[in-house]
Amino acid sequence: MTRAVAPWLDAPLTDFVRQARVGMAVALEPSGRVLAQHGFTRALDVMAVCSLVAAIHASASELGRQVGGRPFGPLHHGASGQQVFLAPAAAGSGTVLVLAVFDDRTSLGVVRHFFAAFARAVATVPDEDRATGPLTGDFERDLGRNLAVLFGRA
Amino acid sequence: MPVVNYASREITCKIVYYGPGRSGKTSNLQYIHRRVPAARRGEMMSLATHGDRTLFFDFLPIDLGAISGFTTRFQLYTVPGQVYYRSTRRLVLQGADGVVFVADSQRRQAEENVESYRDLHEALAEQGVDVRDVPLVLQYNKQDLPPDLVASPDELDALLNFRAVPTFAADALGGRGVFETLRRVSELVLRRLATPATVIR
Repeated sequence: MTRAVAPWLDAPLTDFVRQARVGMAVALEPSGRVLAQHGFTRALDVMAVCSLVAAIHASASELGRQVGGRPFGPLHHGASGQQVFLAPAAAGSGTVLVLAVFDDRTSLGVVRHFFAAFARAVATVPDEDRATGPLTGDFERDLGRNLAVLFGRA
Repeated sequence: MPVVNYASREITCKIVYYGPGRSGKTSNLQYIHRRVPAARRGEMMSLATHGDRTLFFDFLPIDLGAISGFTTRFQLYTVPGQVYYRSTRRLVLQGADGVVFVADSQRRQAEENVESYRDLHEALAEQGVDVRDVPLVLQYNKQDLPPDLVASPDELDALLNFRAVPTFAADALGGRGVFETLRRVSELVLRRLATPATVIR
């Protein structure tokens, strides 16, 4: 099941996963924050994966700039059982990174093909808008209590 | 800005621990990792060299639970402190919602502290971020060392804290000040969400 923090990514990622037949996929900001995911069971694990994906993408981009003046594009790692495909897509005024994990039920060519469709689908998204802040003025009480519990000080 | 999902009522924030090499950034995360129950945190990832120095970053996701009805998760990062990892620090700092600057209180590290603090300001400026807008906390670590070796918090204030941001004396290995530092930067980050904020719908 696809789960999206950013609802505008829900349908495009669901379509990509189904059509490309990838087992797991995650969409994130270049800073490492998850926007949508499919196939992971634990939110904290997704965050860890996203931090690595963001680091890989940032490193490859910077490496490309250092050696050739342009960031490198999509990346593919193959292994005996599973493979990963990582690529950026322009989304509105920003960028979305996608990591797809797949096995021999599909192929790199198929994944690339349907990633292109995903990229077209997210090219025009609603820009971030301004809204009233979500937290109430007394959020400090919840924060203090929860942190105290986490640190065994409650 | 933090990612907010109104539909599922979730908030995700990124906090970066910055500072010179061996100041105790990784020790902060290791202490938090030890204290927080496994069900409320992910695994701590450390991309380190064989000498145990942080090569790229340390990463620890924690689940703070419900705050004002929103499931709130923090992503804690450290940067590599060594001078020659400048470009890596900039990559990790990207999109930070809050920063903890971990200073090494040892007197002989004064110059490294100033250099790293200046580097932080430059890195934020390069990313188009006004440093006055970023939630920032200073942690004066290693205050447990013998008094003749370390500068006092007042001395470190005079050296670094020209912006009058919150400061905490700490001994990250022993845990003193770690909780207080995290709590304060969390408050500063979340306070921005109690006012009009950038939201992804």
